Amino acid sequence: MVAITGFLLAVFLAPTRPLWPAGALCLLVVCAATLGRLPAKMMCRRMLSISLMVGLPFALSRLGGEETRAAGETFAVKSWLVAGAFVVLMASTRAVTLLEITGHLPVLSGFSQLGGFILRGADLLAEEVTHTNRAWALRAPASAIRIRLSALAWASVSLVTRATVRSERVGAAMALRGFDGRFFAPPARRLVVCDLLWGGAFGLAALAIGIVGRWA
Amino acid sequence: MTMSRRGPDALSRAREFSLAGLLGALGLMLPVGFHALGWGGKVFLPMHLPIVVAGFLVSPATAISLGVAVPFLSSVLTGMPPLAPPIAPLMALELAAKAGTASLLYRSLRAPMCLALPLAIVADWAVLALAVSLAAGFFAIKTGAFHYVLVATVVSVPGTMLQLVTVPLAVLAIERRMPRLRPRTKNAPE
Repeated sequence: MVAITGFLLAVFLAPTRPLWPAGALCLLVVCAATLGRLPAKMMCRRMLSISLMVGLPFALSRLGGEETRAAGETFAVKSWLVAGAFVVLMASTRAVTLLEITGHLPVLSGFSQLGGFILRGADLLAEEVTHTNRAWALRAPASAIRIRLSALAWASVSLVTRATVRSERVGAAMALRGFDGRFFAPPARRLVVCDLLWGGAFGLAALAIGIVGRWA
Repeated sequence: MTMSRRGPDALSRAREFSLAGLLGALGLMLPVGFHALGWGGKVFLPMHLPIVVAGFLVSPATAISLGVAVPFLSSVLTGMPPLAPPIAPLMALELAAKAGTASLLYRSLRAPMCLALPLAIVADWAVLALAVSLAAGFFAIKTGAFHYVLVATVVSVPGTMLQLVTVPLAVLAIERRMPRLRPRTKNAPE
């Protein structure tokens, strides 16, 4: 969290002309990926999907004037840097650890509760979709596409209305188990000095590059 | 049967959160379905549908939290919308504004749905314009914020029409099935 905050500030501060601050930040991300022992193939695959999204506006900006081209470069470079940092964070940290860390941040811990409810809901809905698919496969394996699409529409409507019925049951179950209207944050993960040092060093290095790049 | 003083509140809060969770889950799954069918997310706005429905059924605070949480969660789980370029943060602000306005107008101020839904959509556009202006500052882009919002609005006309048709139908269907979810009038019994 410390590292990513410092990095975002640095990207915000760093200009793209001259290119060296952006290059230095890119090097920092590569170093973090290497230290985290992330597979190069996985990193390349994820960055490629981001590149496809960033590439089109960048290519279009090359057709415009000087200001448009500069804006396109800034957009592409900053998007790449932030995406790279997030890819490294997500790949080197387990989702559970990220949730545990939110225990230290009161605002985020509320969101992690809601996130838990959403994931549980996704689980339930995935189950419903699997059942519906299985029912189709068993009852009408070769039905026309028109029938399948109308069935899909009805299944979606039924999922929405069933969601409310499910919520009644889940709410009642929670009340029966002693829920008194208050949500508790998940137990926060203990912060280790080593983690803080690494995060702080990364964030400070990024911030230093951003500040020097901006005002040098 | 007697209930503790905190009982009904606790129950309604639990129901509200679980309903928000399930509609949020639909907000994660609908875009996956739309992408699988090859229908553009920017055109049909599939993530907006369940979140706006939630806006009409839960309290403003929960609706805003849901609007913020779903795009980020979807970004982490499915990679869409991306965090950079900053589509997910923009969508989080948009959805929070839309669901929050819908909930505030419909549930807190008792405005009719035919007024609350268009106003929620307008609030979404206003927040998007503001957020894009700020994001343009981050990317040091001096022009284009207005054009971005204009293009996004025009491209998403089918999605907006879809919302104007399906959201009231879905909310009315749910409220008919569960009258408890209707916003209470002043004289209604508890």
